[in-house]
Amino acid sequence: MIAAALPILYPRELLRSFGVLPVELWGPPGTKTAIADRWLQAYTCSIIRGGLAFLAGGGQDHADIILVPHGCDSLQGLGSVLLDFPVLSKPALSFYHPRTRSRASVDYLEAEIESLAEELQKITGREATDALEATIREEEADSVLAKLLAGRLQVALSCRDYYRLVRCREYLPAEQFTALARPWLSSESGPSSAMPVLLSGVVPEPSGLLDALNEAGAVVVADDTIACGRRLTPEGRDQSAYRRMAERMASAPPCPTRGASVEERSRHLLDLAKRSGAKAVVFAVVKFCEPELFQLPLLKTALERAGLRTTILEVDVTEPLPQQLKTRMEALLETMS
Amino acid sequence: MSAAGRLRYLFGVHIAGRAALRFERLRSEHKMRSRESWRHRHLERPLDVSPRLKELISRHYLTGRYANGARKVAWVTSGAPIEVLTALNIFPIYPENHGAVCGIRRTAEEYCKHAEAAGYSRDLCSYARTDIGSILSGKTPVGRLPRPDVLICCTNICQTVLYWYQVLAHHFGVPLVIIDTPFLYREAPSHAVAFVKNQIEDSIPVLERIAGRSLSHGRLRDVTRMSRDACELWLRIVESGRMKPSPITAFDQFIHLAPIVEMRGHRYTVDYYASMLRELNTRVGRGMGALKDERKRLLWDNLPIWFRVRWLGDLLAERGVSLVASTYTNAWAELADMIDPERPLDSCASVYLHPILNRGTGHKLETMKRMIDYYEVDGVLLHSDRSCKPYSIGQLPQRESLSSEAGVPALLIEADHNDPRSFSEEQVRNRLDAFLEVLGV
Amino acid sequence: MIEAGALGLDAGSTTVKLVAVDEAGTMVWHRVEETEPDLTSQVEELLESTRKLLHRVDELPLIATGYGRGLVKQAGRKVTEITCHARGAYQWSGGGGTLIDIGGQDTKAMIMDRSGAVTNFVMNDKCAAGTGRFLEVCARRLRLSLDELSSTALSTETEVSISSTCTVFAESEIISLIAGGHPVPEIVRGLHRALLGRVGSLARGAGLRPPVMLSGGVAQSRAVRMLLAEELQCEVKSFSEPQLTGAYGAALLGLA
Repeated sequence: MIAAALPILYPRELLRSFGVLPVELWGPPGTKTAIADRWLQAYTCSIIRGGLAFLAGGGQDHADIILVPHGCDSLQGLGSVLLDFPVLSKPALSFYHPRTRSRASVDYLEAEIESLAEELQKITGREATDALEATIREEEADSVLAKLLAGRLQVALSCRDYYRLVRCREYLPAEQFTALARPWLSSESGPSSAMPVLLSGVVPEPSGLLDALNEAGAVVVADDTIACGRRLTPEGRDQSAYRRMAERMASAPPCPTRGASVEERSRHLLDLAKRSGAKAVVFAVVKFCEPELFQLPLLKTALERAGLRTTILEVDVTEPLPQQLKTRMEALLETMS
Repeated sequence: MSAAGRLRYLFGVHIAGRAALRFERLRSEHKMRSRESWRHRHLERPLDVSPRLKELISRHYLTGRYANGARKVAWVTSGAPIEVLTALNIFPIYPENHGAVCGIRRTAEEYCKHAEAAGYSRDLCSYARTDIGSILSGKTPVGRLPRPDVLICCTNICQTVLYWYQVLAHHFGVPLVIIDTPFLYREAPSHAVAFVKNQIEDSIPVLERIAGRSLSHGRLRDVTRMSRDACELWLRIVESGRMKPSPITAFDQFIHLAPIVEMRGHRYTVDYYASMLRELNTRVGRGMGALKDERKRLLWDNLPIWFRVRWLGDLLAERGVSLVASTYTNAWAELADMIDPERPLDSCASVYLHPILNRGTGHKLETMKRMIDYYEVDGVLLHSDRSCKPYSIGQLPQRESLSSEAGVPALLIEADHNDPRSFSEEQVRNRLDAFLEVLGV
Repeated sequence: MIEAGALGLDAGSTTVKLVAVDEAGTMVWHRVEETEPDLTSQVEELLESTRKLLHRVDELPLIATGYGRGLVKQAGRKVTEITCHARGAYQWSGGGGTLIDIGGQDTKAMIMDRSGAVTNFVMNDKCAAGTGRFLEVCARRLRLSLDELSSTALSTETEVSISSTCTVFAESEIISLIAGGHPVPEIVRGLHRALLGRVGSLARGAGLRPPVMLSGGVAQSRAVRMLLAEELQCEVKSFSEPQLTGAYGAALLGLA
């Protein structure tokens, strides 16, 4: 079975243990969003609108379940509309990730995972099997992904191809991702003269953004996007599968969708920049994305104080990269050299 | 807390301030009584209790003005559990209400621009931009806002408040208490109730430390009872809208809402609403409506358009249309019977999980359908509020269902609760005119 | 025949500008044309026509900027408008400050240090509210030329407050204001105020640093300069050929 999953706070391993493969919807790029106008106002972001338009326009035929985790007010609204109104023909599920980090929130997460399991049981008509093994497989995949993200310059790929590989994590079964990505960890690449940048924001879309970065003479050396860098969850310790899933989710890198503060995020970004040697931070922010937009002014100040240049690119994931943003990126690099 | 600060507080608030406000109130009451002929062509004269409302609100901001140095101050979200705060004598400031005041007084746009110049996107909530801009520019129409000693953010109205309060926490360098209330797509699961209760309990020692005193359970019970009494009275006030003609419009409710949000848990709030209810009942007895000639009745959904409350009120009144109820003002009434003074913390967890904004879009549709029947309205105005996604997303399928299943015409008005730049008077007027024609006005 | 040291070509969305500078950096020749759909042939023809006027055209370094810069295959280098505008403005003003370019499709603010280096820049987001396009739409609605728009705005001291800077809303706003009996000059002044409020907040967001310089075609409008000065509460300077700033800066970059 396939679950069409909107971003991003949900336990992949749980779905796998019910024989469901989650395939994430970030747009998808090129989707015509007009059909979503019937249900969503124009001030919702392109990920929400694109996701719904894609599903309603026939995409749901490829899915058995629609999963809409609660990551922001707009995802909340979309999930609720799908649960309460006959918009799609496939069953919808929700998942709430707490906004605080404490023992109580891990307890809550564990219980929330259990109730998602009950829902999955009803839909799939089967019990979860090998949930702990499924968790360990996701942990392996995450560990490969972490290395792939930390050692960007060893991977001799253009930014576009590199991200094509990284983002397989959004839809391939964990074991296939691990098998596909592992060989790249030992690849070698010559020294690069390109300007090293840290990519933050929501998602490396539109993909023209990556080409534009390369053409302007830059290379992404570290990632803090919600879609890639912020999905990395460490290994859990608990031997009970659901507890372990909860522990893992609760220790992902700081992200406002999970309640991280500006301080936690700027510390994390400065640390990433230091480790990777990035000289500038590019924020690819999806228009209307409140969680990201709120923190930008303070983050920008903190990063610039530490000598990093920053630029904010406001994008719609369903639209091609506006020419102006290309100019902005080139201008950033010109003014840095 | 300094002796000088306390002295300033005592003099400014209790001695000079209150006397001045009381005098001001008596003067307006006298003026209202002596003004024999109320001249508005379409609206009945305002409620006699109105000057008292003004006094209450002014006293609230006056207390705030002198609070630093005398009392501990918390900045809180509109849906935050404040019974514990009140029991600990911590003074609450509501940036959302302050935002609404700035909206009504037409200073919000200026503050928003300040926030935008500091990098806050225009796509962010206009309350947040108003608040952040007011802090950055040091400007406010209420004199002065006290610095917070603690921030309390409850996510039961939106996630926006979480990011907004993080910015405040950074700016003021004070602790931020988050009460995270998982969104209820369906009935509240027990683990969500337990989670919220746990967070409220955890917040108590933090607040006790700030207040410098420990929580008295007797006091908490009394405050909770007062909260419930005020909410019950408020419920009966909004329910008086079912009378024909309705003695009160939602526009009146938007204004008289301030005490139930900002001053729940106090005797004077209960007294105020008791007087207001008495006056409304008297008006009902005399067959006196809020409008001189009520011809049609409408339901309002979402926050008001603060900078156009009067404009819209006059526009509707002119055509004999009374806005008799709103889901927004109903939100502080509908949970009254969930509040249990004998189990303050347990009931608190439940109550603060269940505001309409923390529940699904289908639940809101059911609420509207119930209100349509109860208030016997002819149509619904859905304010599609660019600055409030939790309230607005879902309105499109809700409208579809209202007109097809409930057979009640509904109009979507694109606007914003605080930013006039996202509002086109001409477009809204046009749509309203067309809608009212459909209703046969 | 003119002796030139370098050429700068600014292929913008509404006009194509070609500038020649001598070795000392003085502008010695320029031409402005409306942008044609086939930019590649337009540039070819434009360069061809310079051969009769300038010495050794094909040996001169040519730097291209503007949205069409990618299509200028004759160019030795392609540089963004940010760098070019800043370079041109620095040469003309001789110092740092804030350069604001109100273009047809976008508006940018660049902060320059004393040596002319760009330390920060911002561009408008995906919305025409704060760009020259806003004035164009308003001018068309009022049947005024851009010059008339400026003199009309300055013909009055009072103005209507226009809340919405949305280019779409503005049209209906104008119609209703006229219907409401407001004099056109007051409306026009209000429209300028709304636009420049937006531009001003962009510039402040970049970290405004006086003096303010204005480039781009809109800088020719006296109303824009005066009301922007009011908005930012500081002097706003412009140049004698503000629309050539980018092309001039490009040519200067060719000298180095």
